[in-house]
Amino acid sequence: MLASYRWLKELSGVDASPEEMAEKLTDAGLEVESLTVFPVAQGVVVAEVTAIRPHPTKDKLRLVTVDHGEGTQEVVCGAPNVPEPGGKVLLAKLGAVLPPQKEGGEPFVIAERAVAGVPSAGMLCSETELSLGEGGDGIYVFPGKGPAAGTLLADALPAGDTVFEIGLTPNRPDCLGHIGIARDLAAMFKVTMPELNVGSPPTYAEGVSGVIGSKDTFQLQWSGGREVSIEDAPNGPLTLDVKDTARCPRYGAAAVIGVRVGPSPFWLRYRLHCLGVRSISNLVDATNLVMLEWGHPIHGFDYEKLRGTKIEVRTAQAGESIKTLDGVERKLNDDDLLICDGEGPVAIAGVMGAANSEIGDATTNVAIECAYFDPRSVRRTSRRLGLHTDASHRFERGVDPNAVPAVLARAAAVMAEVGGGIALAEAIDIYPAKIEGPVVELRHSALESLLGVSVPADEPARVLRALGAKVEPIDGGIRATTPTWRPDLGREADLIEEVARIWGYEHIAPMVPKVRASRTGTPARLLFERALRDSATGAGLHEAITYAFVSPEDLEKSAAAPADVKLDNPLSEAHSVMRTSLLPGLAKAAVHALRRQAPEARLFEVGRSFRKGQDVLPQEATRFALLLAGSAQDGFEHRDVDFYDLKGAIEDSLSELGALRFEFASEAPAHLHPRRSAQVFIGETALGFAGELHPDVADALEFGGRRAAYAELSVEALDAVRVARGTPLAPSIPRYPFVSRDVALLLDQERPAEHVAETLRSTSALIESVELFDVFEGDTLPDGKRSLAFHIHYRDPEGTLTDKKVDKAHSKLVKAAAKELQAELR
Amino acid sequence: MSDAVERFEKGLAEIDGGFAQQYAEAADEESLRAINARFVGAHGSLTSLMKLMRELPGDRRREFGQRANEIKGKVTAGFDARLAAIAAAEREAELNGPAIDVTLPARRHAPGRLHPVTRVKNELLDIFASLGFEQADGPEIDHFANCFNKLGFPPDHPATDEHDTFFVAGSDGKALLRTHTSTIQVREMEKRKPPLAVVAPGVVYRRDDDATHSPMFHQIEGFLVDEGVSFSGLKGVLTVFLERLLGDEIEVRFRPSYFPFVEPGAEVDVRRPGGAWMEVLGCGMIHPVVFEAVGYDPSAVSGFAFGMGLDRLAMVRYGIPNIKALYDNDVRFLGAF
Repeated sequence: MLASYRWLKELSGVDASPEEMAEKLTDAGLEVESLTVFPVAQGVVVAEVTAIRPHPTKDKLRLVTVDHGEGTQEVVCGAPNVPEPGGKVLLAKLGAVLPPQKEGGEPFVIAERAVAGVPSAGMLCSETELSLGEGGDGIYVFPGKGPAAGTLLADALPAGDTVFEIGLTPNRPDCLGHIGIARDLAAMFKVTMPELNVGSPPTYAEGVSGVIGSKDTFQLQWSGGREVSIEDAPNGPLTLDVKDTARCPRYGAAAVIGVRVGPSPFWLRYRLHCLGVRSISNLVDATNLVMLEWGHPIHGFDYEKLRGTKIEVRTAQAGESIKTLDGVERKLNDDDLLICDGEGPVAIAGVMGAANSEIGDATTNVAIECAYFDPRSVRRTSRRLGLHTDASHRFERGVDPNAVPAVLARAAAVMAEVGGGIALAEAIDIYPAKIEGPVVELRHSALESLLGVSVPADEPARVLRALGAKVEPIDGGIRATTPTWRPDLGREADLIEEVARIWGYEHIAPMVPKVRASRTGTPARLLFERALRDSATGAGLHEAITYAFVSPEDLEKSAAAPADVKLDNPLSEAHSVMRTSLLPGLAKAAVHALRRQAPEARLFEVGRSFRKGQDVLPQEATRFALLLAGSAQDGFEHRDVDFYDLKGAIEDSLSELGALRFEFASEAPAHLHPRRSAQVFIGETALGFAGELHPDVADALEFGGRRAAYAELSVEALDAVRVARGTPLAPSIPRYPFVSRDVALLLDQERPAEHVAETLRSTSALIESVELFDVFEGDTLPDGKRSLAFHIHYRDPEGTLTDKKVDKAHSKLVKAAAKELQAELR
Repeated sequence: MSDAVERFEKGLAEIDGGFAQQYAEAADEESLRAINARFVGAHGSLTSLMKLMRELPGDRRREFGQRANEIKGKVTAGFDARLAAIAAAEREAELNGPAIDVTLPARRHAPGRLHPVTRVKNELLDIFASLGFEQADGPEIDHFANCFNKLGFPPDHPATDEHDTFFVAGSDGKALLRTHTSTIQVREMEKRKPPLAVVAPGVVYRRDDDATHSPMFHQIEGFLVDEGVSFSGLKGVLTVFLERLLGDEIEVRFRPSYFPFVEPGAEVDVRRPGGAWMEVLGCGMIHPVVFEAVGYDPSAVSGFAFGMGLDRLAMVRYGIPNIKALYDNDVRFLGAF
């Protein structure tokens, strides 16, 4: 919301600088995000044209003699609209400083210069040159007699302003008009707001339907006391009929006749210019001015274009459509509220009018609508049509139903004034059920206990009165009837906020409260997730965070389960389904890294995957995913990563949870290499799968022939292991030395090394560890065989081992190897 | 017999006269040991002489034995001395030899890095833990009611405009990707009874995708519910939190603002002395409608809640110019923190 400093100052009666005002607005919760200064040119005065003669050489230039109050001078002027002698214009005298034309530009200083050979020591200025508006071709000419020659620009025209850009929260529809903002300002500065100038209100006929102009004559309110007959309105009286009073609880209409469409006067154009609204014509500008003043949109119809001289408010019929002012044909449904004339729709209520009844250059009689539409209804229609307008923005936040007469009176007055017409004295107001602001009690004790400080006893009443509530004292507090322009005030807490924000949050001293400790504390699973991230980085992996929504195509490329949790309204196909695997996101990151010449990508992510659940909510599973791609480095040697790099990263990440077991997965998941992948266990708990990516999948994911290894483990399963494992107890450190024997065995290639080690270990209670130290496969060995060599550590916790005991155990081991593993000793 | 004596005499004399010279000629430990073996090895000359002993006449054996041992002692001492000298020379040579190139790359297993958002998240969790707040979490896809109705969003109200929501297909608008972590406030309150002091970080989603918005981002929600919790307490906790996070020289400003689930509501700005205000979080006293929605009695308990974006905090802390960088997962970026 843009707000004019000059306007706020007039309305609020607050005399403060723009900066002071901005600070108070922010303190009141109307956050001023920026200030824009609209400067006034210096050294510019009103001048009266006294003589005009042609330029000696140029047809388009003229030499104009002006009286600037302290004498006369001749200036060269190229404008087509120099007035006859006696007309008043604006003269930038020698040394005058004109504001820069562009933001950040240099100001322009008037110096003596020759224009086509004739010296000119000054300039007759246009509105554009003075930064007063967009004002068409030619210089500024005062209408009528104008101020005396020599009057400074700043005194001659209401020029110069500062505009606040306010970041308005959606609970403050009242501040979508200057009056609402001014009211907060007056409360903040503790001044009494002046009476609003709305002109005399028309007299109202009330009911659910009625006729404007049903009497023969009308008292002229705003144009000099002449009497006017309704016969002056060519189509006669206007009938009004509201069919849906739920969607339209109040509808008022007035009329202004005999207007002439033309440009707006300077003050109106300039006000709109500063507020970023383009001036259209006097009548349209008037409706915008009233909206920006009251925050209440009004709509002007060309009276004569209303077919049947009738306005009807009703919901649309299915299949009905309307061509709105923006030229778009819009399909409606039976939730949309329409304003219709005798033949069909002329506006979507509270959203946008139709071209068929629009005010145009030829308009002479205007019907003005000022209504209160149900905010939810306007919002539903506006959202469904994707049509967000200044009007719908205000109606859906809630305008003040009880401001209708004042707004209508003000609108009629301004239109009559700027359009040179006559406002009819009688209006129609259809308001079957009066809307009242809730009556809310505010206990002083509740106020102080919620804020945690003591508040001056008379402050609540002062604040609420200043904001427009009717306040009466009750025992221990006050009772407030809240104003209907504040639909956000409905209960005690709301009033507490009003008192706090106007009194000032800075008066509430910070005090750290006692926080009572809970018995449970942070759930251990969350602490585990954090520890898991730490240990994964310890294993040399960088943490990635990837989007949880992916494309179905990415899941397919990753050979992951197809998504069964999809978005209704995704931003794009690329982010349209919830992931069932973390592979697509991590693979993208890794491929991106390799393409940008990173030698390797070692990544992990702890994130959720989503599957359809029993309930309306999906099942969310937390996954620990690891992806390795590119080169692994051994000293200066580089090679592609493989399964064993991944296995190491998993073991390093999970070392605290106990011994991991990798079992060859006879039925590996589709994304993994069928010969180079494993199922991962701790004890009997299956954690997930790990392996090199299936080459087809790696190709589909565009790894460009580089190998990548990927594991995805269940964090829930890991956490279950953690719980089952409990707290690790201190081990007893052996006091006696171990004795080492080596054994090399020729075995079937298919026999898993860990199985061999486990078999060897089980042969004697004296065996403390079996450590594989060499794997040999090669031509010198029989087909299908390989050699595994182990260090066997024998230890007796009770005493020093003798060679004899070790020899006995070791020969038992060798025999067992032969028998159980069909191993041949090498 | 005399032949044996003669051989013995001669042998001893040879050894006695020669070992010192030979040891002295040994250049390194290996040759020294080879030379030593010639005397005292299994087939060494002195060992052989010892074996000759039993051929000596009985009355001379003791004398020769003594002499042989004497010589053996000298040989051993000579060996030890030479060995020590060689070792000393080698050590000397090593210490005076060429230096290594200390600029060659290290042999190491480089640890990975936590994502910048995780780093700030951990920092915040630690500060709040020290203030007595425990951590909680909740599902990323939640009921519409938990995200809006129970938090006091009026139906068809523009307050939801900032929460442009992704809905789950087929749920008839009932399941959505949470737009804020305040859903966890609702869930924790429904699950537990006061006192509650909780912070809940998490991923949230909004249908915004431009230079300054990512459709997925991170928030942290916090709330304290107990008897007698006040706005003054809210200011106290958040001021201490921000001072610990950003340094105690910062200024903190509480400015009235609006969120449907708090009343009074505020936004909090911070600035360094002389700097510009920067908005960091939203907060307020939990609205009675929220307490009513979760089955608490608003006349018996009160509470405050706050929420802040983690992404922007990470961006400010680490000088990250674009929010998209947080989700591009460029390894050069991820490895930098």
